[in-house]
Amino acid sequence: MMEKIDLSRVYGPSDDVVVREIEGEIVIVPLTSGIGDLEDELFTLNETARDIWSRVDGSRPLAAVVRELAAEYDAPEGLIRDDVVGLLQELFDRRMIVEKG
Amino acid sequence: MKALDQPSSPHIVPGRELPLDGASLAGLMRAVLDKGKPFRFEARGTSMHPLIQDGDVVTVEPFAEGGPRTGDIVAFVHPGTGGVRVHRIVRAEAGRFLLKGDNALGNDGALGRDALLGLVAGHERRGRARRLEPAFISPVMAALSRSSWFTRLCRRVRRALGRPGRRARGG
Repeated sequence: MMEKIDLSRVYGPSDDVVVREIEGEIVIVPLTSGIGDLEDELFTLNETARDIWSRVDGSRPLAAVVRELAAEYDAPEGLIRDDVVGLLQELFDRRMIVEKG
Repeated sequence: MKALDQPSSPHIVPGRELPLDGASLAGLMRAVLDKGKPFRFEARGTSMHPLIQDGDVVTVEPFAEGGPRTGDIVAFVHPGTGGVRVHRIVRAEAGRFLLKGDNALGNDGALGRDALLGLVAGHERRGRARRLEPAFISPVMAALSRSSWFTRLCRRVRRALGRPGRRARGG
């Protein structure tokens, strides 16, 4: 069964990714297949996703990340929470982030 | 306050569609190789023709202990352009590596170890894996490639056989 993202837990980037900033975009190269493959699919993050990614660094629970973003974005905290959980779930399912600590 | 006006799903993009300049490609490749993983990308140019052709997909691996060595085909950062090239080490001496494309008349100069990214361990053409070359050939090719007469001779032979080698244009 797929594990659900939990706001009380701490997450961070997996060791099986390479992350670079290219032309102002965050590019994530998955290494889960054992190779960095430019012939395969890579992942880029838009500005909102980038703000989330930069905070998901293994240092604090996800709920703290949501609070920080709520202070920065002009949007209801519930909407931000749903957005963060949605992104994290997708990255978690693709093994780009892992639970830390 | 920022507006939350964008969905934050990751955008999935084929790697070959990324707008990578030479420095970005080199940085990406180095970051992957530093994790001990191989890196695959499409090679451009004809300077390693006929062994590696324009559009071949090459796999670069971290150097093994004792490497790089004379005869190895390597990915490296060209000191002039900052771009990634795939050429052969034709001489290794005192920590400096003289690099040259098999089909290029001139060499790239003697570069330090830092400029070398990784070893070309394999390649594919139109989706099919191809053998790079037998290991014993590599130092022989390096010795022959040091001067341009061998490259000129190969071009003449290919022309005589009706398979003219294209002139090197980077790569």
